[in-house]
Amino acid sequence: MVRRLVLAVLVLGALALLTVSFRSPTSGALHDVQGAGATALRPFQVAAQRVARPFRDVYGYFSDLAGAKSENKKLRRELRDARAQANANLASARQAEELKKLMQYEAGASYPQDYRSVNTTVLSYPTSAFAQQVTIAAGSSSGIRINTPIVTADGLIGRVTNVSPHTALVTLLTDPDSNVPARDVTHGVAGLIRHGQGNSLFFDRVAKEQIVKKGDIVVTQGTVDRRYPDLYPYGIPIGRVLNVGTSDIASYLTVQVTPFARFDSLDAVAALISTKKR
Amino acid sequence: MSGFDGVKAAILLFVAAIVQVSIFSQVHMLGGVPDVLLVMLVAVSLLRGSILGAGGGFFAGLLVDTATLGQLGLTSLVLTIAGYWIGRYGETTGRDRAHAPFLSVAVVTVLYSFGLLLVHFVLGERAPAGSVVRGLVPAIVLNLILTAPVYALVRRVLRPLDRGDYATEVQLLG
Repeated sequence: MVRRLVLAVLVLGALALLTVSFRSPTSGALHDVQGAGATALRPFQVAAQRVARPFRDVYGYFSDLAGAKSENKKLRRELRDARAQANANLASARQAEELKKLMQYEAGASYPQDYRSVNTTVLSYPTSAFAQQVTIAAGSSSGIRINTPIVTADGLIGRVTNVSPHTALVTLLTDPDSNVPARDVTHGVAGLIRHGQGNSLFFDRVAKEQIVKKGDIVVTQGTVDRRYPDLYPYGIPIGRVLNVGTSDIASYLTVQVTPFARFDSLDAVAALISTKKR
Repeated sequence: MSGFDGVKAAILLFVAAIVQVSIFSQVHMLGGVPDVLLVMLVAVSLLRGSILGAGGGFFAGLLVDTATLGQLGLTSLVLTIAGYWIGRYGETTGRDRAHAPFLSVAVVTVLYSFGLLLVHFVLGERAPAGSVVRGLVPAIVLNLILTAPVYALVRRVLRPLDRGDYATEVQLLG
């Protein structure tokens, strides 16, 4: 009898928490209590991360060693291409700057000039297959807000979807609910980045008439219409086009993108805080 | 069973929850993720019965949901039922059986995965049954590997109860 009573009380308690949390996931008294709890747990999580880091580094060292030679060759090729591209871009950038002055062009916040980064570490990783989310060790006390873009040195990984004073929840690009307006900078084609199988992404909503090629770089699109400002500034690298497919019945191209960021080994990340007043 | 047992169980579950969300959840092996918290809860429930199992499940779930800034109560709900059910098994037919921890871990891994799937489905959220099913067998294997050391550790900390402390509703014959 006592057992069943205890079970009933605990199940009802869990259901009550779930109901309140579901109705207001990012605000309210319960959210504040959760934030305080997350802050209290943070030192333990950081300690666990520190203990695990040497083991993870050793594992990473040996797993990276296996493909180091081929990766080195690939990176050398990419560096050569990037140098050539950088030289070409320099002249265009100067010309664009002059044209902006002439036209008194008023731009929104642009990446990375108008952003400061809050560098932090990942505290916890996705605990189930239901959501692709990580918790980071910085929150509203560092200036992070809901929808703050989160990047690594390689590129965009996601945006903040819940925040407490000292931690924040980041929904990754690989989450099924994630949609990021993006642009193929090589051919100037706009589309939407969505999750694919595993850690791959899809560049969706690209009409069949558009040209997208393997190897093209995809970046965030940024705000196109001032009435509907985008969450992400223009130009955060997302990934590289892996392959492009089409079929007779589909309206859009099937463009698979390999993300620059490695979602399976996230460690240090940066939150982008806009320094420009809107 | 003493109040001190509850404190010891809470410490074990606290450490397991922190280790799970900070370290083990990133360990993807053979397409699955080991769940040290679930294995720890099974061990505590088997050794201390349904009340501590249910309470431990609620507490552990709350820790996970708080640490990950997830929906409070979601993990608690599933782990409470899992802890209670395994506790009942430990109090009745499962007691003194050498295979009980392994059988419990295998069954609870399946029920826990489908339990979470069901709750997400009821809440109207994404419930990817395919990926859950695909990761199930590797998760069972990984959790079974963890069972022996975790159970041995919990058994050292929480000594098995005397026969008189067990439930008396079900009598084992033979």
